[in-house]
Amino acid sequence: MTPVLALFRRNRMLGAILIAILLHICGTFLIEGYSSPFSIRAMLVLAALLAVASAGQTLVIILGGIDLSIPFVMGFANVVAAQLTGQGLPFWQVAGIVAVLALAIGAVNGALSSVLKIHPLIVTLGIGTVVQGLVLIWTKGFPSGSAPPFVSSFVSIGGSLGPIPVPGLIPALIIMAVALVLVLARTPYGRKLYAQGGNPTAAPFALINPVAMWSVTFALSALFAAIAGVLLLGFTGSAYGDVGQPYLFQTIAAVVIGGTSLIGGRGSYVGTLAGAVALTEINTLLIGLGLQPAMVQAALGATIILLVSLYGREPHLGTTI
Amino acid sequence: MMVIWRVLSRSGFGAALLVVLLLLNIVLNPARFAPQSWGTLIGLAAPLVAAALASTPAILGGRGGIDVSIGPLMGFINAIIIAVLIGNLGLSDPFVVIPAAILMGGTIGLCNGILAAIVRIQPIVATLGTYLVLSGLTTTIVPAPTGSIPDWLRTFSQYLAFLPPLAICIAWWGVRRLPYYDQLMATGSDDRAAFTAGVNVPLIRLLSYVLTGAFGGIASLSLSALIGSADPNVGPNYTLLAISATALGGVSLAGGRGGLTGAAIGAIDIFLLQSALTFFNVSTFVLQVAYGAVLVIAVSSTALHERLFLRTLR
Repeated sequence: MTPVLALFRRNRMLGAILIAILLHICGTFLIEGYSSPFSIRAMLVLAALLAVASAGQTLVIILGGIDLSIPFVMGFANVVAAQLTGQGLPFWQVAGIVAVLALAIGAVNGALSSVLKIHPLIVTLGIGTVVQGLVLIWTKGFPSGSAPPFVSSFVSIGGSLGPIPVPGLIPALIIMAVALVLVLARTPYGRKLYAQGGNPTAAPFALINPVAMWSVTFALSALFAAIAGVLLLGFTGSAYGDVGQPYLFQTIAAVVIGGTSLIGGRGSYVGTLAGAVALTEINTLLIGLGLQPAMVQAALGATIILLVSLYGREPHLGTTI
Repeated sequence: MMVIWRVLSRSGFGAALLVVLLLLNIVLNPARFAPQSWGTLIGLAAPLVAAALASTPAILGGRGGIDVSIGPLMGFINAIIIAVLIGNLGLSDPFVVIPAAILMGGTIGLCNGILAAIVRIQPIVATLGTYLVLSGLTTTIVPAPTGSIPDWLRTFSQYLAFLPPLAICIAWWGVRRLPYYDQLMATGSDDRAAFTAGVNVPLIRLLSYVLTGAFGGIASLSLSALIGSADPNVGPNYTLLAISATALGGVSLAGGRGGLTGAAIGAIDIFLLQSALTFFNVSTFVLQVAYGAVLVIAVSSTALHERLFLRTLR
């Protein structure tokens, strides 16, 4: 194997970054206006929204679990934030209520999965369905209200932050990414996360409390999903309970394309960022080429399979003995 | 008394829930459960039961094995046999359509199996990719519900409704007689030990996906019979229902434990729950909350049951 391929095998994240760059170059050649400032800003905002939603999924997957409640929590945050803003509550109160509820939902997910040793796929699916149903009952199926004006300008593609021609979302995302990378690499929580995910049998002997780790990580995942839901509220302007549906599989795809293994114990948020950018590039490229939405979905699936088979393959069973 | 207790403790929460829900449904709605409407009743439940049965072999193989694309697979085969085979090509003979459905299902299962077992992409990602490809292709081939079904296919939602799920069960009964079954359960329980004992783990897993796909082809016949046309929107809903049904029925998502009986019980539980709640005329939102809550409670109870009772068997 050539040294270059070996480098990509060892560092999957580089693969994702390279793919994103290649796709962008393809797009610039194939589509008129692909690299115009507006187009790049739009892609950055869409990728940023996906990156925020995938932040929690990254943590959960490093832990060795999976979070299918992200789309439901996004819808919950979206609708609840709109309702409460429409009822006149100030933004910091709305944000506080949504954040506390999201943390509680995530903590229940993590606690149930780890205490009773149930697969998180089922637990998060069930809890997510319950949350969505409760929100629908509360709004009687007709979500109302509006986006807080601060959030709308924060997310808007045409917005700008002082002299920088990007909306406030992008610098905020960069700061969040740096903070998350530092937390994962330098804090005890980050160490324990990788330890718990890498070897769940040995972790308790290193005095890591699995129930605490799972509860905290799933709570953080729900918090990131709620943040993404509120940001989407600012992006679209009105509440919509199913706003998170596309993100169910896209968050998993972004994390996996970024090089994090679903087995756990490996990966980083930078990879997820690259994966989110790559996914947004694929989506924009395919839509720009004029494919129908159904064919875009099919091509997206094929591309995910192709990308992961290039550098996301699991080791052969014989090498793990 | 002790016998009843021992039987209950062995069969788990899913079976107990089945008895409770069945009694509840018969008390609430005796007309629906009268013998003369059994055909229609089974016809309503058959696609879900068949989908749950179909998704079990892949899960049994272990190491995160799962087939998320089972719903779109059913929808895709439904679209092909009704819109293309019967609609465009005019081939409506059962001896053409049924083998075609099984063959298509098996081929798609083979693709899933190659991706998951040979190329070694994580099964949830591989089948997610297939999910997106199949649902996209289905909507492209059949943008809106179209077509109609021949009379023999309609009987699969009436008096012959039990036939497709029964066919899957008979096929699986045959598979259980083969050494393949033991190797599959060994792979699901501990794939490293199975590998060192000489089991061809990738091949076993590949075949489990082929089985899942073929059974999914049979399930698509039930689905086509129920909806009566080629509909691109119905298939994907069955994925989460089928996987929830298998988990509810005691099939471990880590592999190596459970069987088709559990999957069938789980699917019937979900169907009876929907039936009971619909009778109360509650809004679909309450139905959704109830469905999620029952799923979590049922899986929690199965886990608790395993910890409390099955420990004495070791």
